[in-house]
Amino acid sequence: MFTQLSGRARLTLGALVAVLLLVTGTAIGYLIPTFRQPGDDSVDAGFARDMSVHHAQAVEMAMFAYRLGSSDDIRTLGYDIAASQQWQIGQMQTWLTEWHLSPNTSNKPMSWMPDGQNALQPDGRMPGMASTDELKKLKSSTGKDFDTLWCQLMLRHHLGGIHMAEISAKKAQVQEVRDAAEKIRVSQQYDISALTEKLKDLGAQPLSS
Amino acid sequence: MSMSTQHGGGNRKPSTKAVSGAKPKQGGDEDLPEDVLDDSVDSDSEGPDSDEVSEAPVLRPKASPRKSAPVRKTAPAGKRPSAATRPPAKKIAPVKVKHGTSWGPIALFTTVGVLALGIIGFAGYQVYEHGLSWQDRADKIQGIHDYRKSDPALVDQRDHVWGPQKYTMSPPVAGNHNQNWQRCQGDVYPAAIASEHALHSMEHGAVWIAYNPDLPAAQVETLAKKVRGKDYMLMAPYPGLDKPISLQAWGFQLKVDNASDKRIDEFIKALRQNASLESGTPCSSGDVITETGTTPRDLGKDAAATPKQGN
Repeated sequence: MFTQLSGRARLTLGALVAVLLLVTGTAIGYLIPTFRQPGDDSVDAGFARDMSVHHAQAVEMAMFAYRLGSSDDIRTLGYDIAASQQWQIGQMQTWLTEWHLSPNTSNKPMSWMPDGQNALQPDGRMPGMASTDELKKLKSSTGKDFDTLWCQLMLRHHLGGIHMAEISAKKAQVQEVRDAAEKIRVSQQYDISALTEKLKDLGAQPLSS
Repeated sequence: MSMSTQHGGGNRKPSTKAVSGAKPKQGGDEDLPEDVLDDSVDSDSEGPDSDEVSEAPVLRPKASPRKSAPVRKTAPAGKRPSAATRPPAKKIAPVKVKHGTSWGPIALFTTVGVLALGIIGFAGYQVYEHGLSWQDRADKIQGIHDYRKSDPALVDQRDHVWGPQKYTMSPPVAGNHNQNWQRCQGDVYPAAIASEHALHSMEHGAVWIAYNPDLPAAQVETLAKKVRGKDYMLMAPYPGLDKPISLQAWGFQLKVDNASDKRIDEFIKALRQNASLESGTPCSSGDVITETGTTPRDLGKDAAATPKQGN
């Protein structure tokens, strides 16, 4: 066909094709990072949102311990948990911002996990989350009673949240998220051992559920 | 993605084909003769791109009947004078040749052009969607009041003060407020709370759902389900409310008549945490208020009286 066109027409057509290809290429180049970022329904986004909420309650309870714990080791553990988990909340919220995702979703908590919905408590709280009444009771208790109840609630809280970290450490698409989830899983595992030991020292049992 | 780039390159092949009249296959499907093209393109199209590629076969069948006839005539054209019976046909034929050969490339250029424009358009849409701020999204909700736009002076009032305050709005969406914030980790309060505390929660990024105490219990439960277990959410009855339900975030308000109104979720989705003036400040801890009652509780006022404390 080109041979049938004049040189000028051929040049124009060639330039047109070149421009079209260039613009298309730019558009594709722009879109690729968007496609590679975790989407609104991804494991990564679900983990960042739900673990932020789960962590927030741990931070609250840990701040109670820092303030009301009757022994140094409870106060120190509270300080440790509050500071690290609040930092992790910031990290997870930053991911969402970087991915151009809202911290909010219309999805149910843990719907990004296989069977996650069934793990929720009857009133919709995520596993391990304390009820308002339990928190009130914690806040009003003192001495050894406080230490015991705090260890029980925090142990159950960690056990309830560790499954989210496990799944995300395996299934998140972004390496950074998998690494962070794995770190959370490991450090919570250490906390679980420490809290179990502490309960033994206090002569108490973990909560049944 | 990759298909479109193949097409970008592929559109040049037919042009050489038309010139050389190369009928033997060269491996590429687009070098096949026209009547075979439809099938070969179909079998080549894989999954997601098939609907885009299918535009080409639609155009081609129209082209091929006109095209194939003159093309075949051009080849033996040199021998035809020997027949000498139809000389006028000779003059018309070249005109048809020029007209006919351009159909294939036109179809291809059109297809590629449409594909390219589609990609560019989609990219443009993505730019627009990603460019929307949370505030843009909030402002798109029908009936919402954005006081950050309409009354910046009001929205800038955010001192921490003791004692009851007077607010021009009911419920307020901004203003000076108590040093202590109402706990807002998915708290569903059974009785009215102090606006002085709720405002501080909103400053931290909470969405406050207020409802008229007359609201039917089933609707109250519908609202409670949106709150319980959710960080940065709180809800409480609000006596004297002029509408059944009112949602507040710092500087934003939306009043609705029914708990099933879809805009409630839109409001929460757009503004929870996003409307925070102090990102990262919690809904828990501190001298956290979990009590109800519309008179603010000045926890820490005595300690603050002598050396003035920060916020």
